[in-house]
Amino acid sequence: MSTTKKIAYLVTAALMVAGFAAWGYQLKEGLVLTHMRNSYSWGLYVSTLAFFVGNAAGGLVLSSLIYLFGVKKLKPFAKIGALCAFANVTAAMFAILPDIGKPFRIHNMILHPQLLSPLVWDVAVLNLYALISLVYLYLLMLPELTGPFARIAIRVKDPEAFSETWARRLAPFSLVAAVGIHVVTAWVFSTQGSRDWWFSPALAPDFVAVALASGTALVMLAAVLVYGIRDLYRDAYRTLAVFISVAFFIHLFLMYNDMFIHLWYGAEEARETLAITLRQYLPAHLFEVLAPLAAVVALLSARVRESAAAVAASCVLLISGVLVHRFLIMPAAFDRVPLTIAPLGLQNVTWSVPIASGRYTETGDTFVTAWHYFPSAIEITIVLGVVAYMCFLVMVAIDRLPITERST
Amino acid sequence: MKLERRDFLKLGLAATALSALDLRFLRPMDGARAAASASLEQVIRSTCSPNCTGACGFMAQVNDGRITTLIQSADYPEAEYNPRGCLRGLSMMNLIYGKDRLKYPLIRTGPRGSGEFRKATWDEALDYTAARLKDIMAKYGSEAVAVTVQVPGTGYVQKGAFVRLAALANWSIHHGYDQNGDLPMFWPMTFGVQTEELESLEWPNARYTMVFGSNIIQTRLPDAKQLIEAKKRGKLVVFDPDFCATSAKADEWVALKPDSDAAMGLGLARVIIDRNLYDAAFLRDFTDMPLLVRRDTGKRLRAGEVKALAAAAAAVKVPEYRDQFVFLNGSGPALLNPEDLGPIDARLDAEATVDLADGTRVEVETVFRALKRWLADYSLERVAELTAVPAEQIQRIAIEAATSKPLHVIYGASNYQWYHGDLKGRALALLPVLTGNIGASGAGISTYAGQYRIRFDLDHWWLPPEGKLNWVPYLYFLQGHGKRYPEKGIKAMFGGWGNPFDQHNMANRLKDRCASGDIELVVTFDFQMTTSCQWSDVVFPAASWYENYDLTATILHPYLQLQQPAIAPLFDSRSALELARGLAKRLDPGIEKYFYPELEPQAAALKVIEDMLAKGGAETRGITLEMLKKGPVRVHSSAPGDRQIPFHEQIHDRVPFPPRSYPPPLKATARFVRSGRIEFYKDEDLFLREGEQLPCHKETFADTEYRVDPTVRDKYKLRFVTKNSLYRVHSTHSNNVWMNELQGHQPKVFLNAQDAAERRLEPGHLVEVYNNRGKTRATLVLDPGCRRGTAIFEQGWWAKYLHNESYNSLTMHWIKPLHEIYFVPGIWSPTSVWNECLVEVRRAEA
Amino acid sequence: MRRGMVIDLEKCIGCRSCAVACKQHNAQPAGNWWNRVVTPGSDQHQTAPEKGREYFLPIHCQHCQNAPCEKVCPVGATFRADDGTILVDYERCIGCRYCMAACPYGVRQFNWEDPEQAMSRYHYQDGYAFGNPREYRYQGRLVYAPVRTKGIVEKCHFCVHYLDQGLDPACVRGCPGKARTVGDLDDPDSVVSRLIRDKNGFQLLPEKGTRPNVYYLPPKRKEA
Ligand SMILES: Nc1nc2c(c(=O)[nH]1)N[C@H]1C(S)=C(S)[C@@H](COP(=O)(O)OP(=O)(O)OC[C@H]3O[C@@H](n4cnc5c(=O)[nH]c(N)nc54)[C@H](O)[C@@H]3O)O[C@H]1N2
Ligand SMILES: Nc1nc2c(c(=O)[nH]1)N[C@H]1C(S)=C(S)[C@@H](COP(=O)(O)OP(=O)(O)OC[C@H]3O[C@@H](n4cnc5c(=O)[nH]c(N)nc54)[C@H](O)[C@@H]3O)O[C@H]1N2
Ligand code: SF4
Ligand code: SF4
Ligand code: SF4
Ligand code: SF4
Ligand code: SF4
Ligand SMILES: [Mo]
Repeated sequence: MSTTKKIAYLVTAALMVAGFAAWGYQLKEGLVLTHMRNSYSWGLYVSTLAFFVGNAAGGLVLSSLIYLFGVKKLKPFAKIGALCAFANVTAAMFAILPDIGKPFRIHNMILHPQLLSPLVWDVAVLNLYALISLVYLYLLMLPELTGPFARIAIRVKDPEAFSETWARRLAPFSLVAAVGIHVVTAWVFSTQGSRDWWFSPALAPDFVAVALASGTALVMLAAVLVYGIRDLYRDAYRTLAVFISVAFFIHLFLMYNDMFIHLWYGAEEARETLAITLRQYLPAHLFEVLAPLAAVVALLSARVRESAAAVAASCVLLISGVLVHRFLIMPAAFDRVPLTIAPLGLQNVTWSVPIASGRYTETGDTFVTAWHYFPSAIEITIVLGVVAYMCFLVMVAIDRLPITERST
Repeated sequence: MKLERRDFLKLGLAATALSALDLRFLRPMDGARAAASASLEQVIRSTCSPNCTGACGFMAQVNDGRITTLIQSADYPEAEYNPRGCLRGLSMMNLIYGKDRLKYPLIRTGPRGSGEFRKATWDEALDYTAARLKDIMAKYGSEAVAVTVQVPGTGYVQKGAFVRLAALANWSIHHGYDQNGDLPMFWPMTFGVQTEELESLEWPNARYTMVFGSNIIQTRLPDAKQLIEAKKRGKLVVFDPDFCATSAKADEWVALKPDSDAAMGLGLARVIIDRNLYDAAFLRDFTDMPLLVRRDTGKRLRAGEVKALAAAAAAVKVPEYRDQFVFLNGSGPALLNPEDLGPIDARLDAEATVDLADGTRVEVETVFRALKRWLADYSLERVAELTAVPAEQIQRIAIEAATSKPLHVIYGASNYQWYHGDLKGRALALLPVLTGNIGASGAGISTYAGQYRIRFDLDHWWLPPEGKLNWVPYLYFLQGHGKRYPEKGIKAMFGGWGNPFDQHNMANRLKDRCASGDIELVVTFDFQMTTSCQWSDVVFPAASWYENYDLTATILHPYLQLQQPAIAPLFDSRSALELARGLAKRLDPGIEKYFYPELEPQAAALKVIEDMLAKGGAETRGITLEMLKKGPVRVHSSAPGDRQIPFHEQIHDRVPFPPRSYPPPLKATARFVRSGRIEFYKDEDLFLREGEQLPCHKETFADTEYRVDPTVRDKYKLRFVTKNSLYRVHSTHSNNVWMNELQGHQPKVFLNAQDAAERRLEPGHLVEVYNNRGKTRATLVLDPGCRRGTAIFEQGWWAKYLHNESYNSLTMHWIKPLHEIYFVPGIWSPTSVWNECLVEVRRAEA
Repeated sequence: MRRGMVIDLEKCIGCRSCAVACKQHNAQPAGNWWNRVVTPGSDQHQTAPEKGREYFLPIHCQHCQNAPCEKVCPVGATFRADDGTILVDYERCIGCRYCMAACPYGVRQFNWEDPEQAMSRYHYQDGYAFGNPREYRYQGRLVYAPVRTKGIVEKCHFCVHYLDQGLDPACVRGCPGKARTVGDLDDPDSVVSRLIRDKNGFQLLPEKGTRPNVYYLPPKRKEA
């Protein structure tokens, strides 16, 4: 094992342990250890869920492209894609677990599912997606499940063909599931009339677009890390870059389209909501747009694609942009309490009704109209732990399983 | 959690003393269903009795010996009164079970004010206190020990125990009424009474309600609904320099200049007179308006002085507290019988020349004529200028008020807590009197300060014939001299139910006097660790109104109610009766017998209540302890339905003024209205010298701040209004965790945005309010309703919340000499004027 | 039967007694208030707003007929009682706080820490705790408990625990302004229905389509 690898294992393992410990501590003390409060009831954990869900898209989308649309040059990345999908969708579920106040009651989701709740749908599709990506990965690996892996291989006459056929048959489902997790995750937010920032028909398509960009970028990142730049993959990288770019631009379009419409119409509430993102969180907003934009521009240049490091950096840049984008789901929805009223007899004024934050200190005010959230160390630690899990899983799998193409 | 029978037994209360009520009182929606679960609930009714004097009935739900929930009892026979109570009363558990609750007697160990104490047993603490008191009494005389008892009306038994002890030990005593500034001096001056008011149930009967600086929404919270009700059928006009919460509910808010209410009253009166909107018959029969005044001396003409009447006057014998005055009828001067309010055929607006017995002739005029001439100074234009209210508005309001009967004027404490508050009250009293709005339902003038008015004769408990009390005005104690001030000074403070180290004038000087040893002993009886307790030498832990028996009354409604023990006194707390008894025994074994030594304290309290009711006179006739145990019982009055309508008897049955103000006998107070009528003309020398024979407007601060230090005019430009907070009853609830949570844990000072900007202050800044005398700190709030030149501070914070700098280091114990004329032991004496105070505000250093 | 409440803003004196009664009877720990009263337009309660008229507005759960909180709850912990009251099953709630995101009125409160721990922030003597001491189950489901656990959501339950005893909600009994009335909104002759009809009852945030069962009557009314 190379030193880099060792370090990578060590670091991810350490982060996982730390994340786990942090979660344990949080279980004991309660979510009071986070910086969320009644007025800002969802934070980094839910953002991270959306982020991982997005990242999970790449894999299966890629596979479906290969098997549905016959983009053969991407084939070498298919397994990495499926692996990434599995790792990220499970990470998404791990990320949401610490957000649950009573995680040991999670079985109530099965005992008493409330079918109208988008959260129930989301949990269902996420699990389904996890399953599909696992099956997919398995199918793709099947021809190579030999030697020590023979034990777990199902016996078929022609594994090569079996894998091919079934992968093709599964592709449409996986595509639907992939799109499904984004749409449903988006619906978790976009069905909420209480939060103007989310309550938009553009949110679901936008989630898909973002996912296609970040999910693909993640696969690309994994691919360059595994394979480096090779002539063989030049075309594939180009295709991925174009794909990412198109997805990203669609996202930009959807996002600004939404903002534009609200700004043009000029309703007070919407303007105030937008102002949070565009004014209070301007640096973050600039980052969520400019970082991926820079990444996309770079990736579109053939020269950049000559350098594995540059490609990797661009992908990381894009993904971090998306992470920030996901973080920004929350402020405009929660920074100001949703109950704004126009006091009777007052024109052109909306006023936020303070709410009990759930936080009591002997000198501070329990009631707030605004709550500027930044994740606490515990939240960050737990999320890093989940990220580490995702990386760790991908690394281990690539290390141990026949994921990568044997060098030919 | 299940409540079992044996849990109740654990309460450790005397079984007979415990009166559990069923859910009948909890406003059931469905009686049958309620009864089904009643057996589970242990609910005891008591009366919330702090110094807001709301006296609201509460139901305490007791579980396992602890109060778990409180809710208004809502058991007053008139549905309109229900529910009474407020956020403070609803959160009393925070005080009962709070961290500042006093548990044990404490004896000071550290330096004064250090808050260092050692825990003691009651016996130790009593022995110690008695020994120190004996010492002081031996050295300086018994009058060197002064007792304070706040708001006695809300606890006739327990607070009475202190008074009784003081009387038997021949101590001095301060009366909370003047100490607090709650004594509206215009009452004795004009009506000869201590204070009077409509019960709030009468408010809706008014067709026109004028509120002068009374923030009813916050300070008479449980009664505010009646004010809203009054709006339905009548008009509500609030006169307040600042837009207080009550202004928000008004039909009309009149933003008059601070302290200009006298000018306003006189301006309104003039319009009423000029337009002949006054009730001449009423003025003739019930007021001094037809009385003759000598133009030469300014004194009222006495019948004995008049040649034609002297003999007749001499023939009639009138009580010593009356005078025989003169009026004019068709045939000339006539003798006015002060003992008879029967109709007289008096000329109201007249003047004459009268032959005197000494052979001289003198020009006289009626008080009414004098008043008319006097009001010449109060033209609409001038009043508009003095009050900063447009002339048309004043005129319109005057006409509305005079033509909408009944008219009710509410004169708030904050408004009369000014140096010339008496003048304002006298001027405002003109409004209902000129229009004949006295003694009738929904009519009159009312003041609602703390409850000091005693509702019936309680000498039986308070003032045993063997006792003697030396009533000393608190302001004299502060200044260290004055009439009746003990020769060797006051050396020991013995107080309960009050927190003078925060709440009273010159809180800082009081501390200095303690620190220097000038005051040798401070003993405090309280249930919270207040600032006063911190400064005490001995602290006795008190039982709260959910832990003992007492009899309460208030001014807002005419109901007598019990305090009843829902729980046993917590920790080592005890009742006042027990404390008084313990001290009595140690001070002089001979006086222990006055405190029912044979009875257990709760039983003793009940016995006192029984006796008090039996000997209370007409007001408590037929009222028994058993009745009170079932719920509130109305005290009797002369008005129909026992309604609390001041002077109903005077007007309806033509009984001369004044009605009796307890506790002193009538003769002690009747001398202030010697004509037996409502008097606006005062002819004592001092009144004449001050030019206050009739009510007038005087410039604010001219006789106080500016006179003492003319430079103040430029230095301190903000008047300091220390008003009562929604979240506290004075300093009670200062430490109530929910109340503080609701306020963001911040003492606040309110300024107008421009005043703040001029001082470069921004909302949220920690600011210092200061003047020559002291300083305090608070967080700045910009208040668009706050007038320019005003700093409002919500008073009632314990010093520890203010960096140990009390707002009462800023105020001053001004004494208006006129008030000293009206000294009646036990009720009247010079009164505190909190608002007569100028300050500046600057950014506080962190 | 549709249980509803009418709050008369003309009568409401902004005293916050209802908030305190609610806090007390429902054992709400430090930092947790199911019911709040504000002065619209002013950040300082009972202080005039910069512009406009001063009035007071109490807000707690509106018991929406189209309740987003009910619809989003993944486990049906938030559910509707027969009379339309929206309740939370303390034993089923998983603490996902989706309902908090969904509620437009900001009335839901989460137990960020152990309520006993939160209660200790009030520093009572000897572990004292206030609140109605008995649990209450609605159709077997725990909808009131004097001590909740950390990690669950709670809110105004229309004092369902007093309903059986025939008692009005604590905030109604505790309102010295007599501003609150409860009753059956389905019955056109009930006091609440009549008040709404005769005095222009309105709901908060009608544009959100939540159709609350809590109505308000406008302030600053002059009645004949
Ligand atoms: N919540 C609560 N209620 C209480 C008390 C408490 O501490 N807390 N204390 C009780 C006691 S003991 C008392 S004495 C009463 C006092 O109760 P109030 O008489 O209501 O006294 P404040 O609240 O001090 O002030 C009332 C209003 O007087 C106005 N004011 C001040 N100066 C003037 C003036 O010169 N002219 C006019 N027209 N208005 C003026 C102020 O702006 C303020 O809005 O409250 C009782 N009720
Ligand atoms: N600057 C300024 N100062 C003011 C005023 C102002 O407007 N401005 N207002 C003045 C007025 S109007 C008043 S009335 C006074 C009020 O002055 P105080 O009456 O001294 O003030 P409170 O804070 O009510 O003090 C009552 C004390 O009694 C205790 N107590 C309550 N119940 C019981 C009981 O059952 N037994 C015993 N033993 N103790 C009990 C409480 O814990 C509290 O410490 O303040 C005056 N001070
Ligand atoms: S604090 Fe005063 S108004 Fe409030 S409940 Fe007690 S007595 Fe009534
Ligand atoms: S208790 Fe009544 S009057 Fe007071 S704020 Fe609440 S609703 Fe308004
Ligand atoms: S107000 Fe909020 S919590 Fe209450 S029913 Fe409506 S959405 Fe649900
Ligand atoms: S927090 Fe509880 S009540 Fe709210 S949605 Fe989640 S499970 Fe339902
Ligand atoms: S109905 Fe009960 S739970 Fe709801 S606000 Fe009123 S007191 Fe609180
Ligand atoms: Mo007072």
